[in-house]
Amino acid sequence: MEQHLQDLYEVLSKVDGYVYPNEIELNWSILIVLYPYITGLVAGAFILASLERIFKVHILKPTYGIALLTAFSFMLVATMPLISHLGKPFRAYEIMITPHSSSAMAIFGFVYLWYLMVVLLLEIWFDYRRDMIIWAQETTGVKRFLYRVLSLWTTDISPKAVALDNRIGYIVTVIGIPSAFLLHGYVGFIFGSIKANPWWSTVLMPVIFLFSAIVSGIALVMLIYILLTKVRKLKIDMECLDTIAKYLFYILIIDFVLEGLDQIHRIYEAEESFEVLHKLVFGKLFFTLFFMQGLFGTILPLLTLGTFQFYKPKEKIRKIIYLAISALILIGVFFMRWNVVIGGQLFSKSFYGYTSFKTGMIGSEGYLMAAVWLIVPFIILSFLLWLLPPWKKKEELPETQGL
Amino acid sequence: MPQHLKRLIGVFAVFIILFLILHYLLTPSSFGELGHYRAKAIPENAFKELHYAGSEQCSKCHEDIRKDKAIGFHAKLKCEVCHGPGLKHALYAGQFKAGQLPDSLLLYKPAERKDCAICHQFNAARLKIQFDTINTSMIHQINAIEHNPFDKITKVEFKCIECHNPHQP
Repeated sequence: MEQHLQDLYEVLSKVDGYVYPNEIELNWSILIVLYPYITGLVAGAFILASLERIFKVHILKPTYGIALLTAFSFMLVATMPLISHLGKPFRAYEIMITPHSSSAMAIFGFVYLWYLMVVLLLEIWFDYRRDMIIWAQETTGVKRFLYRVLSLWTTDISPKAVALDNRIGYIVTVIGIPSAFLLHGYVGFIFGSIKANPWWSTVLMPVIFLFSAIVSGIALVMLIYILLTKVRKLKIDMECLDTIAKYLFYILIIDFVLEGLDQIHRIYEAEESFEVLHKLVFGKLFFTLFFMQGLFGTILPLLTLGTFQFYKPKEKIRKIIYLAISALILIGVFFMRWNVVIGGQLFSKSFYGYTSFKTGMIGSEGYLMAAVWLIVPFIILSFLLWLLPPWKKKEELPETQGL
Repeated sequence: MPQHLKRLIGVFAVFIILFLILHYLLTPSSFGELGHYRAKAIPENAFKELHYAGSEQCSKCHEDIRKDKAIGFHAKLKCEVCHGPGLKHALYAGQFKAGQLPDSLLLYKPAERKDCAICHQFNAARLKIQFDTINTSMIHQINAIEHNPFDKITKVEFKCIECHNPHQP
């Protein structure tokens, strides 16, 4: 009897007010925070690449290749947090073998596959095929073999063939933009369509996720570009960096306004869930929402980038500030995902209480596991940058540049 | 068509064919026969070992208790909720004389305070009983530690069933 009460006491010490028994433990923890975060980085990086290719913002040329390879590296890892969250990870393939059309998650498998195989892989292949053939002639050993395999043992680099590559690459990118919107809008849809959860259930969710994804992806490419030029001891292209910052600023405004609109709508509507959400926002989410996401992740970058549109400090200072701003935005968007995923599970669907959440360091749902899935894409990216360095691409002849 | 496009289409064709082969090999044989699930899952579960007999089986031998229970607060409570799974007992107990049942066929007799507290311990989340109704979906709640804990003279702990007939509380 005493033991029974002791156990109950320990469980209830995590709880404020009244929660249903299945709400005490959070089923979706830090790995599920990472899933929309990493997918968002992919979509954002791709949108930046498409700015150069489709929207002809040629000043962004130095980041085009980096953005594509970054999107690809993160895409390869995007599903890993989900799979390592599963109790039976080796059964994950079943979602693709017997998918049910009413399952949002099962269809995501195909959206993911489409984006990985038809968009990213094809665009990179058509973009690099000519270079891989040239590099295969210039190198020896394993690297030469890799280039041969990756270019599918093709040798045709005639102007006609390269022009065709460019044209197909262009078409793939055109298809890629709505696909990137679909990919990340879909992640928002998975949360937004859970009607039992008032913190998630809003039609704006896919749009908010999409714009925060674009913000985070652009910030990531900006950060990687600055660090990469530093490592390679090259002079940074400030004009390119300023242009990225300009787009980052515009999209951050849209993102901020959309999130604000969502909250204003919630406040004005003041549904029966309002009180519990109000207390959640000013209680358990206060620090992560107002400071990490709001102040450091949005307001501060917004003010700084906004100021830069009128007044530009010296290049050296600007570069450091851009580095800091991109890091802040990346942290801010991470906490946006945190506030959505974790916040949505902290309050009871009875609207009468709250539970609490604490993640450990080790274990399959711990911080270390999450850190692994954040580091792995950078390792893949380093390998890809070694194998397919965008800066070593040979200039094409004018007549092959095509579209 | 240029050579490199042919090769690329070839690679995609191989990938799609590989996916279709895997799809064929990995889809369970009875999948989709009856619906979007494995039809064989039904017999697999149907042939699992049974443990519960059901109250109708109990009343065949314990008709007196069924009658007692039928008019009390516990009328809707099934026997095996308190006494545990009783299929073996129902099948084989009839072969033995009363009082000579082997241990393996004996059912649990919940007699301690903790047994009753499983349901009746105060819990703010449960519907509270209203004394002007006899709605049996609501449960009497008591504090199992404070509710008549022991005899004030002998200091011996009371058992719930000393005052309440568990079959007709």
